[in-house]
Amino acid sequence: MRASNLTAILAALAGLLLSLSTASGAAERSRPQAYTKVRGITVYAAASLTDVFPRIDPGPRYSFAASSTLAAQITQGAPADVFASANTAIPAQLFASGLVQKPVVFTRNRLVLVVPTSNQAGIHSVYDLQKTGVKLVIAAPSVPVGSYTLQVLEKMGLTNVLANVVSREPDVRSVLSKVALGEADAGFVYSTDARTVPSKVKVIKIPDWAKPSVTYAMAVVSSSGHKAAARRFVKEVLGKAGQKKLLAAGFLPIPKARSGR
Amino acid sequence: MRRILLALLYFLGAAVTLAFLALPLLAIFVHVSPGRLVDQLSNPVVTDALIVSLKTTLIAQALILLFGTPTAYLLASRRFPGRAACITLVELPLVLPPAVAGIGLLAAFGRFGLLGSTLGLAGITLPFTQAAVTIAVAFVASPLYIRQAIAAFEAIDPDLVAASRTLGAGPARTFFRIVLPMARGGLAAGEALAFARGLGEFGATIMFAGSLQHVTQTLPLAIYAEFEVNFDVTLAISALLVLISAALLLSLKLTLLWQPSEQTSRSRFALSSWS
Repeated sequence: MRASNLTAILAALAGLLLSLSTASGAAERSRPQAYTKVRGITVYAAASLTDVFPRIDPGPRYSFAASSTLAAQITQGAPADVFASANTAIPAQLFASGLVQKPVVFTRNRLVLVVPTSNQAGIHSVYDLQKTGVKLVIAAPSVPVGSYTLQVLEKMGLTNVLANVVSREPDVRSVLSKVALGEADAGFVYSTDARTVPSKVKVIKIPDWAKPSVTYAMAVVSSSGHKAAARRFVKEVLGKAGQKKLLAAGFLPIPKARSGR
Repeated sequence: MRRILLALLYFLGAAVTLAFLALPLLAIFVHVSPGRLVDQLSNPVVTDALIVSLKTTLIAQALILLFGTPTAYLLASRRFPGRAACITLVELPLVLPPAVAGIGLLAAFGRFGLLGSTLGLAGITLPFTQAAVTIAVAFVASPLYIRQAIAAFEAIDPDLVAASRTLGAGPARTFFRIVLPMARGGLAAGEALAFARGLGEFGATIMFAGSLQHVTQTLPLAIYAEFEVNFDVTLAISALLVLISAALLLSLKLTLLWQPSEQTSRSRFALSSWS
C-alpha cells in the first residue's frame, strides 16, 4: 500500500518534470523574433524604472540603482548588456569613452516635490522649503535626480534651502522611502516614483517655468556578449507595447522630433 | 608518503586562503600611486568623513564601555533564569544584517517609531543627526565588546574574587582592583574589535542617519558616495581604513605581548584565548 503510493507519487513527479521540460522546449522553438521575453541579458536601469521595466519585459535580469552608480560599475567592467539612464548626459559620456553604443531617448519624466501624507512641516509649495527646521532630503548631486533637484532650486532662486538638507541619498528610491516613512519632511523625486506609494506621500508640483527636462536614454553596452538580444530589448522598450506600459506608469512620451529612430 | 601529501594539502590550503585575503587589500594600494593616495587624503570629503567617523565612533565606544562592562560582568558572574536569553539578545546584532539593524532603529527611534513620538515631545528627533550615527555604531558594535568581556570575566578564577572579599575588600574594591585588571586583556581585545566594527558601520547608518557631508557621512558612507564621482577618493579612504584597522589589530597584539609581570600567572588562570 505504502509502496504503491510512493511509486504513484514518483510517477506523477516524473510526468510533471517531463511535461515541464517539453513545454519549455516547445516555447524555445516557437519563439518569434520580436516582442517576446528577452532572456539571458542583464539590464542596468535607473532606480526610477524599478517597477515599469519588469512589466515591459520580465525576461532580463535587472539591476536597479542610481544611473551614476550603474555607470561607475560599467566603467569598472560590470557585465551589463543594456544601460538605461535617467538622463542623457551619463550615457553620452559613456558613449564618448566607447563604453556603450549610441544612446537613444526612450522616455521622459517629471520632477516633483513629495511630502509625507501627515505633512507635519506644513509644506504646500516649493517655497515653503525655506522654513527653518524643515528636513529636506535630496539625492546626491552625481545622481540624475539630484542634479535635476539642484537645477530647480537654482532656477527658482532657492539655493538657500540647501541649508535644510539633512541627507543626500544614493538614489531616488531612498529619497522616496525617507519621505514615505515620515522621517523627512520633503524630498524631490520623479512623479512616477510618487505614484508607487500614493497613500504615503502627497505630491507638490514644481512651477512649469522651473521644471527641468527629465529625459531618459538607453544604450547597448559595448562589451556585451549578447548584443542582438540587447538590441531587441531596446527595441521592445521603444516599441508600441513598451511605450504604452511607460505611459501607464506615468512616464511622458518621447518628444516627436527625437523619436525618429 | 601520505604524510607528505597531507602537508602539501595544508600548505596549498593556507596559500590559497592567504592570497585570497591579501589580494584585495594589496590591490587598494597598488591601483593608484601612493602619492596620489596621500593627495586625496586632503580632499574635504575625506577629512570631513574622518572627523565624523572618529567623533561618532569614539562616543559610541565610550558608551559601549560604560554600559557594556557592567552588563558583561553581571552576565558572567551571576546565574539567573533568562541569562541564556540575555546573552543571545546581546549577541544578536552581531549576526543580524546591518540593513535589519537600520530598519529596527528606524522603527524604534524614528519619528514615527516606538519611542520616536515620546522623544519628539521632548524635542528630540534622532534620524539624520550625528546622534543617530552614534546609536547605529553602538548597536552593531557593542556585541563584539560584550561577548569578549563576558568571556574575559568568566575566565577569572572565582576563588580569587572570594579571597579578596574574605580579606576585607568590598565588592567595588574587588571589582576595580582584582576583576578589571585581570580581565584587561580580554576587554581590550573586545574593545578593539568593536572599534573596528564601528568604524566600518555602513548599512544601519545610511538607513537611520542618512548621508550628509560633515554631518552624518562617515568614511564608509563617503566611499559609497564617491564611488561614482571619484574612484581615487574611494581608494584613498579604503587605504586609510585598512591602515587604521591594521594598526588597531597590531597595537592590540603588542599590548597583549607586553603585559606587565603579573601576567606570568596567565597560564594558571587562563585569562583568555588572546595570546
